[in-house]
Amino acid sequence: MGFITDIFNSLLSEVCLLLTVFVLAIFSMFYNVKYHKISKWIALFGVSAALVSLKFLQLEPVYYSFSEAIISDTFTVFIKALILISSFIIILLSKKNVTKRNHKTFQFYLLLISAVLSSLFVVSSNDFLMLTVSLEFLSFSIYFLIAYKKGYNSKESSFKYIVTNSFSTAIYLFGVSYLYGITSSFNFNAINDYFMQNEPTLLYSFAIIFISLGLLFKLAILPFANWVLDVYEGSATSVAAFIATVPKIAVLAILARLLCFIMGNSFELPVILICLAVVTAFWANSLAIRQKSILRIFACSSSANASYMLFALSLMSVYNLSTVLFYLTTYIFMNLGIFAAIIVLENSNYALSLQSLRGLAYSNPIFTLAFAICLFGLAGFPITSGFIAKLYLLSAIVRSGVVFMPLLIALVITMVIACYYYTKIVKTMFEKENKNINEILPNRTSSPSVTLYVCALITVIIGIMPAMLIELCKFVAYNL
Amino acid sequence: MDLRILVFSPLIFSMLLLLPIFSGKSVLIRRFAKIFASLHFLYSISFLLFFDNTSTDNYITEITFFGQKWLGTLGVSLSMSVDSISLLMVILTSLLFLLVCVASKGVIKTKHSLYYALIFILETSVLGVFCSRDMFEFFLFWELELVPMYFLISLWGSGLAKKSAMKFLLYTFIGSLFMLCGFLMLYNFNFIAVSELTADIYNITFNYEAAPIYLQVIASILVILGFAVKLPIVPFHSWLPSAHVDAPTPVSMLLAGILLKMGAYGIIRFNIQMLPDAFLILCPYLAVFAFVNIVYAAVLAYGQTDIKKIVAYSSISVMGLVLLGFCSANSLGICGSIFLMIAHGIISAGLFFIVGVVYSKTGTRQIIQLGGLASVMPNLSTFAVILTLGSIGTPLLISFAGEFLVFFGAFVSSFLNSYLIQIISLSSILVLVLSAIYTLKLVHSVFYGNLPEQCRMLNDIAVHEFLILFTLSVLTIILGIIPMCIIDILVPSVQMITGTFGG
Repeated sequence: MGFITDIFNSLLSEVCLLLTVFVLAIFSMFYNVKYHKISKWIALFGVSAALVSLKFLQLEPVYYSFSEAIISDTFTVFIKALILISSFIIILLSKKNVTKRNHKTFQFYLLLISAVLSSLFVVSSNDFLMLTVSLEFLSFSIYFLIAYKKGYNSKESSFKYIVTNSFSTAIYLFGVSYLYGITSSFNFNAINDYFMQNEPTLLYSFAIIFISLGLLFKLAILPFANWVLDVYEGSATSVAAFIATVPKIAVLAILARLLCFIMGNSFELPVILICLAVVTAFWANSLAIRQKSILRIFACSSSANASYMLFALSLMSVYNLSTVLFYLTTYIFMNLGIFAAIIVLENSNYALSLQSLRGLAYSNPIFTLAFAICLFGLAGFPITSGFIAKLYLLSAIVRSGVVFMPLLIALVITMVIACYYYTKIVKTMFEKENKNINEILPNRTSSPSVTLYVCALITVIIGIMPAMLIELCKFVAYNL
Repeated sequence: MDLRILVFSPLIFSMLLLLPIFSGKSVLIRRFAKIFASLHFLYSISFLLFFDNTSTDNYITEITFFGQKWLGTLGVSLSMSVDSISLLMVILTSLLFLLVCVASKGVIKTKHSLYYALIFILETSVLGVFCSRDMFEFFLFWELELVPMYFLISLWGSGLAKKSAMKFLLYTFIGSLFMLCGFLMLYNFNFIAVSELTADIYNITFNYEAAPIYLQVIASILVILGFAVKLPIVPFHSWLPSAHVDAPTPVSMLLAGILLKMGAYGIIRFNIQMLPDAFLILCPYLAVFAFVNIVYAAVLAYGQTDIKKIVAYSSISVMGLVLLGFCSANSLGICGSIFLMIAHGIISAGLFFIVGVVYSKTGTRQIIQLGGLASVMPNLSTFAVILTLGSIGTPLLISFAGEFLVFFGAFVSSFLNSYLIQIISLSSILVLVLSAIYTLKLVHSVFYGNLPEQCRMLNDIAVHEFLILFTLSVLTIILGIIPMCIIDILVPSVQMITGTFGG
């Protein structure tokens, strides 16, 4: 009976998603064309059921299940809730994106839900085997999701993703094998216990550096960041929104757990991670300046934002973790708002280049306002949650020590570059262009538009009243 | 008497202006805006009534959300209070926004509701900067000011307005991020020293074990970088001329009249009041920067052919004088600087307005194409003469008292390297001759000399333009004759701040 108890105490939401995957698979075999409209509702229902089921998990300090391979605590529940909320939004966004070209919507949602499922497993894994398997599962779902869009570009970017990912996985596995060689265990707790009793060696430092480098792929941090531009442009926009949020949340969460427990004994690792973060921030932000396509700009921006979070995360402390969680939460809403806006534009047959946004402010003021709120949020202007998030994140870095001031200043300079291209987008929307001036976006109440407004509203509300979310993040970080 | 109402009523009013009932009714919007701004000005004057200039906690109040602080867990709250420096700035702000609402008539031709909404959002953020008691609240309003200003310049500006607006935004943004790093360092020092999270400007304390002097100097430099962009100090000034030239007249008035003062105000609050020891170390270097500011801007102003650029560079020059007053690090110099800030707020707003009027009437801002306007516009030229004489520091006009105090303060300054400061103050007095040259050249070449052919049919200024210039000129004269009515209010607060220097 231990099996059933374990599932009920730690894996309820995963089971909900698994059932959804089964239902979608069965439907896709028989009713693929006829009932393709209900696939979205099935997926939405599955995700909401998973979200609700989080409430019934056992949250006594930490709950281990399946011989300590799975962990369930406040932190995992918080991260899972974030993942599920963002996937809920992404499902809402992806309807037209998917159905426009073919009717194989069941397969799309099947892949999407399995990617969500695997990222939940990534978050809750407490064992390198579990982590490796779920990471691979996640990558496989993403390969197909990227290639799902018709056309040559998507295949190419999918291939790019596969190659880079295999390389990073190899590096990651190399590190894991070293760690296994030292401690002869895959379990986080056992490894942690081992280093409680034994002094860490140089080999240990190598091992964890390799492991974290391998994990950086999904965050698009520099040695493995080259895929990000092409993949965002090549894949369907909702898939890009997915790649920008869900795997990032999952990998940041597991990186936080690793840094907190088994990677906390090294001095070299934080330095390397911080340097990578700063270099990535420079690279991504300066790359974004020259981009003409909106998707490519946001590919760079997602990479840059991940590097800000990595900076604070590598200086591991409870306070830093809480700031990262806060930044992550606010970033997700702003980012999904922006992707919603892009999808609205795409659905109304706008070309996704910067120039096509001209004159949008005069024809669609409310849309522009919401879009601009999300953009200003990412740039970090006040009254948006981005301002508080930036303040809070930088306060964490400053508190970690004066030694990091030069790097912090470098990071701040990249934030100014970021401010430039976010503002440039807003500026373009206010530029006069007589041709487009009456081109009103149709269907103001479609789900992407509503998502955009909701995300902008959340951004403003958190920006005005951040206290509750900060309390929550502190509580969660304290419980890791 | 509630500072929350004072600060946030413009924001609420701007939201009202964006309501659909106002769309397209430009006259109605302008009238409402004027009425609101006058009421706001009266309200801000009324704060002088129960005001104690020896206290820093006047009208102290705090904004809470459902009984919670804004960022309670970080010790950050939205609390406000005024001392005499900030109250004078608040009144000046309120007055200038009223004048700007009047001055916008005829200049702003499109998107009226958005324009006035942005103006009032800007007013909230500027007032918030002057009233805030908390570092991060200060920073919030400081950054908030960027967004309306960006749109005001880029949407209603002329020429390369979009580019200038972006330049303004990026310069200020990079400065303010450095400032944020400095604030976070201060916040962290305080946390290490007393192990209590607070960002209250008046409660932050240091001890030298937690913050050795070199760290204080680093923090001070980081903070002053933010203000240096706004003030502007010379290597960071290049956003200012272009922003001024491309902005519409009312926005230039605000930019010169109020926004530059935010930088100076920040230096008083943070560099002088919170980091006095570090400021004393930085003083000699800042004095050199101030000197460069005065000379460089004056020389550049002399070489310009665009009259708006001349006025813009003259602002930079005056702000150098303000900085020199701060560097004297005694209450005379700082009092003089603050008085000069107020004087410059009044005069530069007036000068920019005159430039705007000349431009809208003649269609050009080039010195060569202008001349002899005094014969067709006698009222305008009278006001222009009063204001320019005021700006070069003629006795019995407003700048004189300020400049006198600044030089006197700098000359008797008894702190480190006082010879340096004395030499600098002496040579800056000589440089002021330059400022007299270019301002008088401006007046001479625009209002006297030969009247060009196309200008012969021009009318004199309209009633609303007359009212604005009349108000500013009267203030110039009255405050020039009795400067003590402002300096008396200022002195206790300034002495409290300079008390930290121990001298």
